Amino acid sequence: MSDVDFTYIQPDGEEKQVEAMEGMTLMEAALFNGIDGIQGLCGGICSCATCHVALDKELYDKLDAPSEGEAEMIAMLDDHGPTSRLGCQVSISEALRGARIRVLGTEA
Amino acid sequence: MCVAEADPILNQPQIYDPYEYALHDDPYPVYRRLRDEFPLYYNRKHDFYAVSRYADCMTVLRNFKTFINGKSTTLEKEVIPGSLPFILSMDPPDHTRLRHLMVNQFRPHNVAPLEEVVRETARKLLAPHAGTGRIDIIADFAAKLPMAIICALMGVDPADEDMLRGWTDDIVHREDGSNEIVEVNITGTRNLLGYFEEMIQGRLARGEVGEDIVGQLIAFEQQGKLNHAEVLGYLYLLAIAGNETTTKLIGNFTYQLWENRHERDRLIGDPSLAAGAVEETLRIDGPTQMQGRETAEPFELHGHTIPAGSKVAVILTSGNRDERHYDDPETYRMDRGSRDHLGFGGGLHSCLGAALARLEGRIALEEMLATMPDWDIDLASTRRMHSAYVRGYTHLPLTFTPRSAA
Repeated sequence: MSDVDFTYIQPDGEEKQVEAMEGMTLMEAALFNGIDGIQGLCGGICSCATCHVALDKELYDKLDAPSEGEAEMIAMLDDHGPTSRLGCQVSISEALRGARIRVLGTEA
Repeated sequence: MCVAEADPILNQPQIYDPYEYALHDDPYPVYRRLRDEFPLYYNRKHDFYAVSRYADCMTVLRNFKTFINGKSTTLEKEVIPGSLPFILSMDPPDHTRLRHLMVNQFRPHNVAPLEEVVRETARKLLAPHAGTGRIDIIADFAAKLPMAIICALMGVDPADEDMLRGWTDDIVHREDGSNEIVEVNITGTRNLLGYFEEMIQGRLARGEVGEDIVGQLIAFEQQGKLNHAEVLGYLYLLAIAGNETTTKLIGNFTYQLWENRHERDRLIGDPSLAAGAVEETLRIDGPTQMQGRETAEPFELHGHTIPAGSKVAVILTSGNRDERHYDDPETYRMDRGSRDHLGFGGGLHSCLGAALARLEGRIALEEMLATMPDWDIDLASTRRMHSAYVRGYTHLPLTFTPRSAA
């Protein structure tokens, strides 16, 4: 497992570049690196939607589509968009190298 | 680890001892005093710190590099001899690796198909009592339902359920006012681990690994993703976690809805509110009252320094009743809709089985409303569990209007 570097854009616009281990999730990597706006309250069982992020269209299309359960959770969020994902459901892989992940900072 | 002698935290009155049985009847006034007067509290007898405000609980839960789980999430200095590592006693990256292996299993979407078997089991357990007008909702129902489901998921013979439940009760037992490991903790641990070891060896000998949780864990070991101790540790945790807390959750909402009868009346009129009632019970009277962490480095809080190597109690249910975070927090309102409560903890170690607990809780409540909507509690006959960590009843006798068999 190698490290992948990418950037979180926090809700206040500040960017933070991180290196994270492949196989971790975007939620976990955010907690590891103290990224604002990602709470990960449920610890990654896809039940709290406090790790809402938006991906670039290109990256979104490259990844597997959200599962039905994740899609249902996203649909309930007021600020969801066409490339919304829950960070806990996105595994870190080579596809994320250099990516820019916008944190939407959902209120719990 | 001792604090410096000049530290005024040493002069705090000793108002919070989670090992004292007397606290367990109603810990909430003590929690309120902690929040208001001693937001960082230090217990001299057992040598631990405690946080009680919502924001401080979140700080500790989120800051997993400073507040590690270490060897266990208890405040005891030692772990039970013979116990094995499990995800609650691990930190990243091992924790991450182990949690990922099973997380898919416990997503709400993947738990939802269990609805039918949970409902069927609940009905089967309640049916013999419906015509009598009496039930001990813990012993006859709430203690059995979650154990039956987790045993089914693990492929345990239903005939062994009571035995396993006895062992898990042994493991979490503590004497009044003491945090010492006692003999039954050790025998319970040995029995439970021995049972699973035999189960695994039996399957391997038969060449039938199976597709349930035990089968999946065996497969992970064969693929080199887990070692044998981790497999047993996982099963140990699931057996305890799958039993204890959901049982107490059912008991606690039975009490809360009896105490708040207007809310139960609304529920009878609209059973679709059941999920909200379960959620509000988790907030105001959740079974997991407190969890421990250990400081990996010194940490400043409320003007004091918590030294490295200190135990820190995170009083989850106090955070859930913090007026700094919730409006009117000590009022039970099942339509409150708070989904940020700490009933399942929070952060990386948040309860893996939360979706299953919610499902079981909701169905248990729906079936109770269908069978015994006017339950009354015989308060004098109730008995409580005594644990520093888990709050709930061991006996909760109810009476209700008997129904003729449907």
